[in-house]
Amino acid sequence: MRTTITAWRLRRGMTLVSAASVLLLTACSAAAGGSGDGDGPAAAPNKDDKISLVVYSKFTNREYPVVSAGLNRLKAKFPNIEIKHEGSQDDDKLTQSIRGGNPPDVAISFFTDNLGAWCSNGSFVDLKPYIDRDKVDLNVIPEAVRSYTEFRGKRCAMPMLADVYGFFYNKDMFAAAGLSAPPKNTTELFDHAKRLTQLNPDGSIRVAGFLPTMPFYNNQAQIWAPNWDARWLGPDGKSNLAASAEWKEMFTFQKKLIDFYGHDRLAKFKAGLGDEYSEDHAFHRGKIAMMFDGEYRTAFLKEQAPNVKYGTASPPVSDSKPNRYGGAFTTGTIIAIPKGAKNPGAAWELIKQMSLDTDTLVELGNGLKNVPSTMAALRDPRLEVDENYRPFLTMFDGGKLLPNPTTPIGDAHLKAVNDFAERWQAGREPDLEAGLRKVDAQINDELAQKGGGR
Amino acid sequence: MTATLTHTRPVRRQRWDRRLQWVAVHSLGVALGIMFTLPVVFVLLTAVMASDQAMSSSLWPTQWRFDNFVKVFERAPMLDYLVNSFTYSLLATAGILLSAIPAAYALSKIRWRGQNVFFMLTVAAMMLPPQVVTVPLYDLWVRLGLTGTLVPLIAPYFLFDAFSVFLLRQFFLTIPRDYIEAAKIDGCSEFQAMVRVLVPMAKPGIAATMMFCFLYTWNDYFGPLLYTGENRDSWPLSLALASFRGMHHVEWNLTMAATAVVMAPAIVLFVFAQKSFVRGITFTGVKG
Amino acid sequence: MTATVPRTRVNAAARPARKVPRRDRRRRLTVLAFMAPAVLGFVVFFGYPLLATVYYSFTRYDLVNEPEWIGLGNYIRMFTSEPLVAVAAWNTLWLVVVLTLTRVLFALGVALVIARLKSGVGLIRTLCYLPALAPPAAATLAFVFMFNPEFGPVNRFLRLLGIDGGLWFNDPAMSKPALTLLVLWGSGELMIIILAALLDVPVSQYEAAELDGAGPIRRFRHVTLPSISPVLLFGVVNSIIFALQFFTQAIVAGGVASGSADVAGNTKYIGSPENSTLTYPVWLYVQGFRYFNMGYAAAMAVLLFVVSFAFTAVLVHQLRRASSAEENA
Repeated sequence: MRTTITAWRLRRGMTLVSAASVLLLTACSAAAGGSGDGDGPAAAPNKDDKISLVVYSKFTNREYPVVSAGLNRLKAKFPNIEIKHEGSQDDDKLTQSIRGGNPPDVAISFFTDNLGAWCSNGSFVDLKPYIDRDKVDLNVIPEAVRSYTEFRGKRCAMPMLADVYGFFYNKDMFAAAGLSAPPKNTTELFDHAKRLTQLNPDGSIRVAGFLPTMPFYNNQAQIWAPNWDARWLGPDGKSNLAASAEWKEMFTFQKKLIDFYGHDRLAKFKAGLGDEYSEDHAFHRGKIAMMFDGEYRTAFLKEQAPNVKYGTASPPVSDSKPNRYGGAFTTGTIIAIPKGAKNPGAAWELIKQMSLDTDTLVELGNGLKNVPSTMAALRDPRLEVDENYRPFLTMFDGGKLLPNPTTPIGDAHLKAVNDFAERWQAGREPDLEAGLRKVDAQINDELAQKGGGR
Repeated sequence: MTATLTHTRPVRRQRWDRRLQWVAVHSLGVALGIMFTLPVVFVLLTAVMASDQAMSSSLWPTQWRFDNFVKVFERAPMLDYLVNSFTYSLLATAGILLSAIPAAYALSKIRWRGQNVFFMLTVAAMMLPPQVVTVPLYDLWVRLGLTGTLVPLIAPYFLFDAFSVFLLRQFFLTIPRDYIEAAKIDGCSEFQAMVRVLVPMAKPGIAATMMFCFLYTWNDYFGPLLYTGENRDSWPLSLALASFRGMHHVEWNLTMAATAVVMAPAIVLFVFAQKSFVRGITFTGVKG
Repeated sequence: MTATVPRTRVNAAARPARKVPRRDRRRRLTVLAFMAPAVLGFVVFFGYPLLATVYYSFTRYDLVNEPEWIGLGNYIRMFTSEPLVAVAAWNTLWLVVVLTLTRVLFALGVALVIARLKSGVGLIRTLCYLPALAPPAAATLAFVFMFNPEFGPVNRFLRLLGIDGGLWFNDPAMSKPALTLLVLWGSGELMIIILAALLDVPVSQYEAAELDGAGPIRRFRHVTLPSISPVLLFGVVNSIIFALQFFTQAIVAGGVASGSADVAGNTKYIGSPENSTLTYPVWLYVQGFRYFNMGYAAAMAVLLFVVSFAFTAVLVHQLRRASSAEENA
């Protein structure tokens, strides 16, 4: 009797083993991915289809409900569609969800950093069949914006809204220091920074005229670079910062500012500042007088620090590139269908609405204070434009915008430059050119890793 | 400290030395106790400060904001995170009860060929950095479509958890085999002997193992980051906490309040079961 | 500690003199039933992935497209062109040396003090152990706050003493020492293991040594140390393994101290400041699960395995000796 029980137990054990091995076998033969990978475009849903669309974005707090409202406008066309908008999803989480086979139906990313990676390895569905089918005219989107939303001619994302990075300055502090106009070039920026800086009795910094520490807030290499006309990739598609006079000029200027404050003093000051998107942001609290930032900051200031009197302008540019004035770094929110999306047809309808529909774009533009990415929405009279917002629209229309290069390496090039910038400003990288050569080596190694024939 | 020369010294001097030594050792002990406690005190004090005070240079809260603990739950879906943490920890702990007790029994109370080999493999598995095996395991869970859920974290505990098997085996070894033999002479099968004789006798050891499992999973950061990182709905507290400040744009005082919330269950558990803990820890040391 | 482990061997007489084949078979089946989940678990979660890691290390694999065989490509990249793996390996080596030494010595020191306490032992022991229970992510947040150069209590306290405190987690030269302090704060487990070993040393041995005129240092060297040396060896190996897989504290500290908006989410800030907190497992994670160079991450994993296995072997060897000593006792 007992023997049979044990034997039964054993058989059960064996079944478990074989069941698991079967599971493993099937698992290994099953390919990751879903219905979104077919060749042709997926059909648009019928008007009354009950569909639940999952949307990932990085929007939080103040911005989240604005975007949700914009997404839900799709209900006018498809009343039974339910939109599940998940905020706070950054690029890394989005990538993981696609690789993990559980992607959302629609992906919204704040940046174009990873677009090249997503496009080149097929994480985003190619939208060309959809565009051809619905005869969408892409010429309604400005050229610079079109360029940063495609990768090597492959259109796998649409622009939703654009960001332009301009210059913010505190008017009260300017008045107190006897300054009237924002700086137009780096010489003026340095001079203003000196005059606006205030120290505590113990020598520590109370107010920094301009905080040059990189990376911090929007002191990011890609945001600074256009103001020096510094380019990421050479004509051969490789990184060659070490040979670029523009990059060297940019870092030399940054080091001059760092040395003016003293690296350690700045580091301490920086550690005491609030988070970028919190109410304690240094500009809100009057701890910095000038900064580079995106147009969306105007909305944050309005809500979180309405008492700060500030102005905006084109960012100051390198002394040797005066004709760059009026230009700026641009990037934007992109919207796409991830590989493996469950309802690609409906997802495309949502994307069309979020990237091309004038009413939606104007509403989002007003709510988020982002620049609408079609000409029609940009010129729409309903778009609320105040004096602090206008400079961004002017820059956007000015034709001097520079986007990030779309490469298959994601933001690895930004990490390489950030790493260098940290060492450089601490004085641990005495030879600028040698240091930049290391950056090049790091970026090119990652490019080679991703290149590999794909 | 001059104990060597004690027999050549007058008795009074000797007593004085001993007293001095007592004072020295005890003040050192108290200093250590304070040192180890201070960070927790800072966390608690900052947790009840107003936001601008947390970033200023004062240590004592000027106004006691106990509502910060409420705010933490309002700002972030802390309750969801809490439920995820409990799901992970409780299910994993239940898992080892089912999987590790029989294995440890077979490793300590039955003699069979390969026993030692498997035990050594268990020790090796216990010592293996988790990062070594993550690439194929992540790939496996991706193909099963289970990343973004808690399943990849919990499932292994229902089959094999090296540390629990190791610890339970060490505990079971301390229980004389005579009891098992006696039970078997009375007609018990190995299974019955395990359930009716060994498990009741090894309760403290099993309790300690369960607590370690609970704690390890509660504190785990790497596993959740890897498998649930993409899906905020599955985040346990430990992972949520590390992203808390950035994601929810909260101030330091709220961050510290959340930190205190995450620390609390472990500390409560310890206060209630200190003895088992200490016993368990000493068992993880290698017997000399 | 041997004294706390009762002998478990049964008398030979208690065993049946003659092997009954049927009983033998039944026992085998029982063992199989009891061990099946564990063996399966070992195979699925350790055996298979270990072999698969070796296979993946010879491929280029991004989880989207099928793995592509590239031979030694990943290993060549690791040793020639990829610059950060060396930085990461150096950081981990630093931790292996410094963490191991300080952790064992600190735990021993605290245990020695507690062992000498006559009253309040329970309370002090509890206070010293409690931090070990704090979730590493939470403890790291607390430490980054405490060591904030501007408003953290540590620097404020140092300022009272007239010392200008450093930048701690914001200074590449100080970030690893700050992490070490964090680890020491949570080293209660090792402390308790050593404490138990200390209390197990028979008092008679001390008395004998004292009668022989041995001073405290000599008594420590000749009585204490030999009796607790196996536990110290365990502590050393355990600390090395701990340092080799050091991940959570490093990635959380780097992210939070950098002041970035996305704490552990943003790859750009991992390792901050200046990659000084970029440990080998952190870089492996970034390469594998952020850049999705899974093949390269697998190659890094193989190297980590080789190194950690060498140390594990030491421990296994010691365990073996201990259990065979038990057998012969």
